[in-house]
Amino acid sequence: MAFMRKQAVVEATDLNAITPEEAEKRIIAGVKKYATNEANFAKADGNTPYLGHVVGMGIESSNLADITMSIERQFLTKMTAKVPAAPGSADFKLGPGELGKLRILDGQDALAATPGLSVKMLMDLGHMPKNDSYLGRVVSFAYVMACGDGWKMADALKKMAAKAEKLQGSERDEAKANLKTLAAQATDYDALLADPAKLAAAKQKTFANDKAALEALQNELTLALDKIKGISADGDAAALAKHRGEEAEIRTRLKMSAAKLRVSQEVAEAAGRRRPIEEAKVAEVRKAIADAVALAGTLS
Amino acid sequence: MALTAEDLSALRRQRLLSLAFAFPVSFMVTAIARLVFRYRLPPDIARRRAELWALLDRHDGPLIWAPNHLTLIDSFLIYWAVFPLSRALDDRRVPWSTPEYTNYYRLGGPLQSAFLRGLLYLCRCIPFLRGGEDAASAAWREKAFEKCAHILREGGAVFVFPEAGRARSGWLEPERPKDFLGRLALEVPKAKFLCVYLRSERQFGSTAIPPRGDSVRVVWDLLEGARPGEANPRDVSQRLFDRLAELQEEWWKGSAMPKNCGGNDVVDLQSPLLRENFSDDLTQADPEWLDRHLTPRERAYLDAQGPAALFATFWRFFCAKEAAHKALARAGFVVPRGAFREIEVDLFRRKASHGPTGLRLDLRFTDDDEDKLHALAVLRGGYIGDEATEGDVLWRVAAVPPGQSPGAFVRDLALELAASSNDEIGSPSRLALLEEDGLPSVLWRGKPQDWSLSLSHSGRYAAASFMIS
Repeated sequence: MAFMRKQAVVEATDLNAITPEEAEKRIIAGVKKYATNEANFAKADGNTPYLGHVVGMGIESSNLADITMSIERQFLTKMTAKVPAAPGSADFKLGPGELGKLRILDGQDALAATPGLSVKMLMDLGHMPKNDSYLGRVVSFAYVMACGDGWKMADALKKMAAKAEKLQGSERDEAKANLKTLAAQATDYDALLADPAKLAAAKQKTFANDKAALEALQNELTLALDKIKGISADGDAAALAKHRGEEAEIRTRLKMSAAKLRVSQEVAEAAGRRRPIEEAKVAEVRKAIADAVALAGTLS
Repeated sequence: MALTAEDLSALRRQRLLSLAFAFPVSFMVTAIARLVFRYRLPPDIARRRAELWALLDRHDGPLIWAPNHLTLIDSFLIYWAVFPLSRALDDRRVPWSTPEYTNYYRLGGPLQSAFLRGLLYLCRCIPFLRGGEDAASAAWREKAFEKCAHILREGGAVFVFPEAGRARSGWLEPERPKDFLGRLALEVPKAKFLCVYLRSERQFGSTAIPPRGDSVRVVWDLLEGARPGEANPRDVSQRLFDRLAELQEEWWKGSAMPKNCGGNDVVDLQSPLLRENFSDDLTQADPEWLDRHLTPRERAYLDAQGPAALFATFWRFFCAKEAAHKALARAGFVVPRGAFREIEVDLFRRKASHGPTGLRLDLRFTDDDEDKLHALAVLRGGYIGDEATEGDVLWRVAAVPPGQSPGAFVRDLALELAASSNDEIGSPSRLALLEEDGLPSVLWRGKPQDWSLSLSHSGRYAAASFMIS
């Protein structure tokens, strides 16, 4: 099968034989062809988001899986042996084995939004040794997202101020009303960024939604099991098979739901912890927001 | 199908027994709702109940309770909300329900099952069988219908969910009425509909029960049944569904949850980056890459389409998933990045299902040619529309001018679309875009609009959509 990407032959490297910085460099180089924002890509580092155009590399969601597969193609790992995720479970995770192709399993890349977070993922999964000094320079997923929202807000406010300045009459008045709302939103967001506890509380919303969804699914499972119990007593084989299928489907959905909850829980918790690298990123975006708000304020 | 003497005698027996136990059963329903599930009704419920009962007392005829359906305990919650304990012995007004047999009558071990059957019997339930196209199932449904009609002819009340099943999107869709209640109303023209829209404040979709401890809010209205001259069940049902849809709108006006939840996605089918994982002739694809995006069921469908349709079909799945992802995010359910398999798309039925919540969305493909593909997804808030019926979603797909940033272009496109769709706005300069939690909204007169704006760009194309409901 002649895939277009075969034009670029990649020689895979053992993740245990390179530094995290080297892995990061290779990951960035590996996604070059998917990056549609060349200017941002040219200055990309470990904390540059793959997605997004304001500060990100501009990779489109249609190439999200390609990022992960590009990482898989470039590296070799000793975590290659399939072991049951839990005793008796059909699901598996990867344990120590022979050196071989790197595999990133379903959902493991959910937080790998930057090259640095991709390296962190590889460390967390045991594919390469943990390096605290490197991890100290990697912005957490929660802050990549929180700062990304701030950059977008500042950008929108600046653009709107520039547009409004050119307008006249009632159009200008309406644009000013919109600008006022945008500036107020940016100011509120700035206050949120200033306080890690408030930011963490704001991120609880998604966590609460996901928790409610998980609880709802658990109720559905209880009901499905009750139905199976009732049907088993009746001896209706066809109905039993149907409901066993339903139970299996709910269990699969529960697994998805639990994985999703772990992501939102991690984001909510991480938003409350701020290290110097996150402080620095927050300071940058807060300055951009403050500049944009000031610019909006100059419009009379 | 006429009811036999035995059927009628059984109904009479059930009515008398339920009347004998009406007070303890009503008390138990209230106690379980309040103390076990800790549900709360609005503080003004007594006043609103009194207003409703004043209307009901003026209607000296049969009554068809016609509520929306989201959870398996809706009938109990609605009874609790509408029926004051002081009316528990009002024999004619206590409604007969039609619960689905497979959901309620074979639950748990022998003791639990016997208790539930007993409770349902005392709650005047007539087991109903929705599934099954065989003669026995059809006869069962027909008999249940006859029992309901008989009760109404006698001046009683029946409780039937007009949608038949729980709304898997969490939204009552008036464009898809079911005929059962229309038929029933034509059968007993004196009957009126008691339309009820009940939902707990955090009820995101269809679940077994509402979240524990939630506040339950309800709106209702009394609607005439079959009008003189009305002979088609669909016409009666459509009128009923339209009224329920209005009550739904009223309920959502007081809700903190966003009502309109739609999304869109565009795919540039000629983009080289989209061909990366396909063979040069696009008839084969990297199976590992496909598996990262598609569920086993979707893979089976894709494989069945044959090699010639592989490329186009894959991107249909992808486009639909992305549109659904945006609609879900609007409802507060963010699909983690790369978790494409959380959403399963049924291209044949034009539906997408979200695994973790079970929410089901409607899909529609527009601007569908060899060059590009555009998909819309609607979870709730309005009708997605089809070739025959205009929906509540407006969209525009356009080519990004060379040299222009697609991100900036799609934002301008969205504002132009919104401005050109509303005479009052006129010019896009009067609008602005606001982004919150990664979701764009239109600002008009300084206020964010609940239009569920969605933006997308891919390669040479950009697309925007929003809901006008």
